[in-house]
Amino acid sequence: MDGMRQIYIEEANELLDSLETALLALEENANDKSNIEQVFRAMHTLKGNSSMFGLTHISDFLHNLESIYDKVRIGELALSKELLDCTLAALDHLKIIVYSPDLEDPINKERHQQLSNEIQQLLDFETNNVPVKEDLLATKITASKTYHIYFEPYPNFFDDGSNPLLLLAEIAGMGKTVVVPHFKTIDFIEEFVPTECISFWDIYLETTHDEQSIFDVFVFVHDSAFINITEIPYQGLLNNPSFLEKVHATASTAAKMDIQELLSLSESLGINDKTLVEKSPKPNDNTVNGRIEKNKEKVASSVRISSDKLDELMNLVSELITTQASLSLFSENNKIAGLETISENIEKLSRRLRDVSFGMTLVPINNMFARFQRMIRDTAAAIGKEINFSTMGGETALDKAIIEKLVDPFMHLIRNSLDHGIETKEERIRLGKPEVGDISIKAYYSGVFVYIQIADDGKGIDVEAVRNKAIEKGLLGEGQNLSDKEIFNFIFHPGFSTAKVVTDVSGRGVGMDVAKRNIVDLGGDISIDSTTNIGTTITIKLPLTLSIIDGLLVNVDNIKYVVPLSAIVKCYEVENKLMKNNFNRLLILDGEQIPFVNLREEFDYELSCNLLSQIIVVYDGKHKVGISVDAIVDEYQAVIKPLGKYYKNQDFVSGATILGDGTVALVLDTNKVIDLHIKNTMKYAN
Amino acid sequence: MQTNKNTQTSKTDRSAEKIKSFLSFKLDTELFAIPVMDVIEIVEVPPITKIPQSPEFLKGVINLRGAVLPIIDARVKFGFPSTEPTVNTCIIVLEVEINEEAIYVGALVDAVLGVFEMDENAISPSPTIGAKYKANFIKGMIKNDDNFIMLLDIDKVFSALEVDIVLEVSE
Repeated sequence: MDGMRQIYIEEANELLDSLETALLALEENANDKSNIEQVFRAMHTLKGNSSMFGLTHISDFLHNLESIYDKVRIGELALSKELLDCTLAALDHLKIIVYSPDLEDPINKERHQQLSNEIQQLLDFETNNVPVKEDLLATKITASKTYHIYFEPYPNFFDDGSNPLLLLAEIAGMGKTVVVPHFKTIDFIEEFVPTECISFWDIYLETTHDEQSIFDVFVFVHDSAFINITEIPYQGLLNNPSFLEKVHATASTAAKMDIQELLSLSESLGINDKTLVEKSPKPNDNTVNGRIEKNKEKVASSVRISSDKLDELMNLVSELITTQASLSLFSENNKIAGLETISENIEKLSRRLRDVSFGMTLVPINNMFARFQRMIRDTAAAIGKEINFSTMGGETALDKAIIEKLVDPFMHLIRNSLDHGIETKEERIRLGKPEVGDISIKAYYSGVFVYIQIADDGKGIDVEAVRNKAIEKGLLGEGQNLSDKEIFNFIFHPGFSTAKVVTDVSGRGVGMDVAKRNIVDLGGDISIDSTTNIGTTITIKLPLTLSIIDGLLVNVDNIKYVVPLSAIVKCYEVENKLMKNNFNRLLILDGEQIPFVNLREEFDYELSCNLLSQIIVVYDGKHKVGISVDAIVDEYQAVIKPLGKYYKNQDFVSGATILGDGTVALVLDTNKVIDLHIKNTMKYAN
Repeated sequence: MQTNKNTQTSKTDRSAEKIKSFLSFKLDTELFAIPVMDVIEIVEVPPITKIPQSPEFLKGVINLRGAVLPIIDARVKFGFPSTEPTVNTCIIVLEVEINEEAIYVGALVDAVLGVFEMDENAISPSPTIGAKYKANFIKGMIKNDDNFIMLLDIDKVFSALEVDIVLEVSE
């Protein structure tokens, strides 16, 4: 049972998320039909699921909400701010009680009662304001329509054995019918031919079937009868005694109902259901089609998989690749006919398998954005500011493990923008800025990384204030000269806050260092850029995929390293003596001056006895730097295993990988190697 | 990884005595012991890949059936100079808790002696005077035959930080 409950909770959360997104969208544009449908659908599905599990508190709670939104979607009710606020409050409550549906907690129980009452009031208020007509109650407000069917069989109708009464019975089975029979006039009894049909009928049918279905009843007799079907756009006729009196008046006469007369009679007696007919979903309505298509799309394009299964798949794929590396090595060392080809094929297949399965753990960052939207709305309202929140690059995908860990740091950063960045409305107007503040999130790929920028157009960060605070805290010497960017980095120090007033939302200086730590733990980085009165941009850099990369296997003093292929620009062969006595540590490669890092030197290995070294030129987004190694061994697909806490400080090694022969190779983070080199060079320079 | 637990259940009354199993090992001339429950396995020493610019007590990493295992040179941790491995040198794979997270680490030791059972109540507290090592690393002293064996708190000893276990002579 537990497993089923887990599934219920997961589905419920998904439904509540989709509900929230639609509600927030409706706040912007109350007329968007598809969002109303989404709200209704989510409520309806959740209600059904909850009933299935016997969670009556939840299903009852949803029942009235669902009724309200049903009225909204057929246009009987208008969306008011009151309704939306109440629905959002109900949503929050549902998020909680999904986990404890028996309302054991008295707080939950109280809130439940309160919200139920509010919803009931909203429902009653709106229902009472719609005039209810007796006839309307009798006829359901569905897509049922009234038709007049004129059925006149030709005289030879009976010749093939057809029985018109059977057809009438079939029509009667399609809905409420009133059948008025007629006979053609015969002047003289001698003229009557008994095998000929002289009957004809006026049939009045109220049905939900469409005209084509009615026509289909007569499919076999199209050639032997005259059939005419007219839609009467008025409701409630078949219950109306005046109408019935009129139509029956012509019964058993030769006088058939004149259509025009019928229509004017209907108009005077019936209830014009033109408006109702338009509102109820027509079978060919685009929104219905759109809805159905959207549903189909959803079903076709996604399958729910437990993340444990995904993790297991990842592990197996990783091990497969490691084993495949052994196979390659074996085939190289043992020249057995045919083995090389097979080994190569397996390599190709495992590479593709890797790409596909790793693509599965990538989740678009959109999911995260939706949560922020809600938080911004609520917080902005609470502190009296108006914010326009925009996102770009939501389809950018990140490893799902990373996304979960990003939510908290991001929440903190956005709250900071809201609280300290964006000025009050009055202040903004005074500065000539638009009253509504702007907060935006932009995500994009670059190389092996994903960049996410959170930007606001607020008052920016005062560099001088930060500088002074840093000096005050002893983190910075008075005379020291640092770039703005370096000064902003102090903000990430624990306990550092230049906020004059600590608010409920932020300002204690607790969050930024934690945010940075969380991001760095994921192998990423964070930096701030700001201009006074213009705004602040925070850039977060994150590694794309944690585990498998394509790299170049190299040798440095008999230790093997892997250099990620994506960072490499070009490889050169260089004579060692060129590097030895190099004062400005620059090499001229392809006519370009490129600084270089001698790994043997960096890693304190002995100096090389070789004549030649290989220079691998890498690009860290800003500079090109050459890294010198003893030899390049081969291209290699590395399954990266983390080194763990013990090697936290050695960040230039981003992980290790197990080679085909069982030894361990270290995976280089080339950016950090460059940083390390710069640090060391500055040390020597001082 | 298979847990190499010692499952010798003794039928003696457990409420009075708390019999636990310990693994004893040797570093240079000193004898140490750790609870068998914390030991995952014992392996021979494969090629160790040293990470550049790492502290001396971190010997490097090895390949343990496809996983990357960090290796701590226990000799160095306890103040002995690092030496070349002998035929008896081996690696004890331990599960330690760091910052509430369970991590596997390998301890490089000179020799593993054996497993012995001991009544927990019979473990004497470690002496403070004349002690060679800081008190919080040693959980107690065990007298086994003629030897004194020091029972280690592995979470403290094998933590990731470079903490000095050896007491300064002046203290």
